[in-house]
Amino acid sequence: MLVTWRYRPRGSVIEKVDPRARWIYSFMVLLSLTQFWDIRFLLCFLGVVLVQYALARVTWAETRRGWTFILIFAVGIVALNTLFTGRGGPGEVLQGGHVLWRTDWRVLGLAIHPTITVERVWFAVSQIVRMVSISGLFLIIPYTMNPRHYGVTFRSMGVPDRFAFSMDLAFRFVPTLARDFNTTLDAQKARGYEVEKLEGGLIAQIRKMAPLVVPVTMNAILSGEEITNAMDLRCFGTRLRTWVHELHYRRMDYVLMGASVVVLVASLVVRYGLKIGTFWVPGWALAWAGG
Amino acid sequence: MGPCDNALPLCVRELTFRYRIREQPALRNLSLDLHQGELMLVAGTSGCGKTTLMRCINGLIPRSYRGEQSGSIRIFGEDVRGMSMAWLSQKVGTLLQDPERQIVGSYVLNEVAFGLENLAVPRHEILARVDETLDFLGILKLRDRETFSLSGGEKQKVALAGALAMRPQILLLDEPLASLDSASAQDALALFRRLADSGVAIMLVEHRVEDVLRIGPDTVLYLRDGEPAYFGDAEGMMQALDYHEVKLPAPVVFERAKAQPAPRFEAAVKPDGQETLVSFDHVIFRYDPALPDVLRDVNFTIRKGDVVAMLGANGAGKTTLVKHALGLLKPTEGRVLLEGRDTRELSVAQAARTVGYVFQSPSQMLFAPTVSEELAFGPRNLGHDREQVRRDVVWALDVVNMRDYADSPPLALSFGQQKRISIAAVLAMRSRILMMDEPTAGQDYWNYTAFMDAILQMPGFDAVIFITHDLDLAISYANRIVLVSDGQIAADGSPAEVFVDETLLLRCRVVPTSLLKLNTEKLPVTGTFMRAELLAHAVA
Repeated sequence: MLVTWRYRPRGSVIEKVDPRARWIYSFMVLLSLTQFWDIRFLLCFLGVVLVQYALARVTWAETRRGWTFILIFAVGIVALNTLFTGRGGPGEVLQGGHVLWRTDWRVLGLAIHPTITVERVWFAVSQIVRMVSISGLFLIIPYTMNPRHYGVTFRSMGVPDRFAFSMDLAFRFVPTLARDFNTTLDAQKARGYEVEKLEGGLIAQIRKMAPLVVPVTMNAILSGEEITNAMDLRCFGTRLRTWVHELHYRRMDYVLMGASVVVLVASLVVRYGLKIGTFWVPGWALAWAGG
Repeated sequence: MGPCDNALPLCVRELTFRYRIREQPALRNLSLDLHQGELMLVAGTSGCGKTTLMRCINGLIPRSYRGEQSGSIRIFGEDVRGMSMAWLSQKVGTLLQDPERQIVGSYVLNEVAFGLENLAVPRHEILARVDETLDFLGILKLRDRETFSLSGGEKQKVALAGALAMRPQILLLDEPLASLDSASAQDALALFRRLADSGVAIMLVEHRVEDVLRIGPDTVLYLRDGEPAYFGDAEGMMQALDYHEVKLPAPVVFERAKAQPAPRFEAAVKPDGQETLVSFDHVIFRYDPALPDVLRDVNFTIRKGDVVAMLGANGAGKTTLVKHALGLLKPTEGRVLLEGRDTRELSVAQAARTVGYVFQSPSQMLFAPTVSEELAFGPRNLGHDREQVRRDVVWALDVVNMRDYADSPPLALSFGQQKRISIAAVLAMRSRILMMDEPTAGQDYWNYTAFMDAILQMPGFDAVIFITHDLDLAISYANRIVLVSDGQIAADGSPAEVFVDETLLLRCRVVPTSLLKLNTEKLPVTGTFMRAELLAHAVA
């Protein structure tokens, strides 16, 4: 059975906003934010995200696991990509730069020369700010958006019934998978399985994950089939459906959507019209590296 | 049977169906009529074709399951094969075995409205019909609750409301009692009777035959290997069927068993009352600081020789309690000692050497390519040597009567078989204490009696604990009864001590059965509780 995210009414301003307006706002800010590599602009967006976070009245305890995952993921990706390979960013980060540290490592007989430059470090910091801002923008949605409205939100944004209801199901799939995973983990622990003791090479380790991965995957597939059957039995998809919940825009929703469009247009003008906002390293950092 | 009457809600003639992936037909030459306001009980062993029959009627065959079908199914004179799903689902409402598998809405209102939304009924009418249906079922107060937070009985009613809101004239109920405590099951049954009396034609598939007999089904169909073994009234069924195969009312079994040789049952686990294996010391538990306590000051000891049946309502805290013994949950306050050691200091894997715990749902643990490998997983984790693992796997397969399936993939087996494999997988670990959560749910009577007999007669366990909603299972096997109610232990003692207090039982949502009544009656002679066959010979 699908479980919902831990939504509870918090009486916050954010919850009073129409969910469609919130999606539109979130995507507009996302699009605007991704125009920039200049940390000064990115920090402004981070500020917006933090304000939204404060308004949502979501506690740290509720989102701690989410943030831990995001930070580990972001730092991991950035460390790997930016510092060592230098990929995934504007060209100027790749070549040259002010060297901080040069290495000569050998891994599996291959010579690897990750060169840490001021530019790369600064780029890594900018990228983390960017990733954290994007995550923060969307992380609070499950905590503050009424699950009753998931489907109808997409439907009234013009998406077909099938797709809109799929979105509703997809949202609930994630916490359901987490619950099933925990149940399976408990069931296998009760059979003496110790996930902490995974040993051997990569393939051996993956094989040893089978007791967790197989039941969880099979359950997901089977429950997908069951949901399809249950939906078929109640005529889903036979004609254009009614949605029992209705959404109504209010003045503040129009204001928010208008402001989001203005931010996007402004961002595009600044970035492509004025050509401001590309990757930037502060002068003091270059000076410190001896540049 | 003659040709179909067009006024009949349901008319089946010469129905045979074979799933494309199977060699043998799941149903053979089945003919039946279901009248308006009739309540038909369909029973049979696991895999007898009950579910297939339902799928043929509600359109899931051939829509979702392919195969070869012959014969006809007519609903009000119309052949179902020519009907659209939209038409069919307004005539036929289906309640699947597990309400968890049926509920698609995140909130009760959405769930009940789902079918009507799909039929594009206007919004105001949907809301009116949802309220009307919820009110009819007496659950209007649940309207704005999240579906996943409901209790088992509530989920069942909500799923039923979802089907009823579409105002079907035929209702198919697939083992609707499987996950309910006995009081909820009684409520549900009374409701089905009321629906039938209001004119709905009901086909009720159920293993718990005795429970259904109490609401007076108009007809009974008993299937064996896909063929009708009996079709007639309830009275005739009691005479026609073997009481080893179907659980019949205790007085019937009692009388008939007298003519049979005395059954042999000698429990290997015997009370000695000395060694303490597990002890709960003022245990309080809550999942989250913001949520209420699930266990409230539990003090409880499992001693060597105990066969404990744990009974209580859905959501009373039975599973939570048992998980503490293994250290899967740690007490919020108080402590749990396993062989004298605090479970906080033990890993679950360490505790698993002493306690074997069978989870409720087998699909959450089965993963191996073959049944043998599945069974070897636990003992290998515990470091048993290869020869011992091999011996224990064979032994465990014999106990659950699954030796022929040693090389089959467990994931391809039926639910009942998977459940037995999940029990065998824990048996093979040779733990001192065996704990089983609802071991008989979704199993047919013959099979579960066979494996419970085998487990309890097998030497090797110091204690056996099982959680169940089946009072008769507790009467038949336990030497100690624990009633759990609202996170506390409401009663703990021998069957004779606990079962005499009917008010207490009802407060814990345990409804007395005919076997309980018979045992209470004979208690002055027997001094203990037992199943009807044994009782017949004990008083003779």
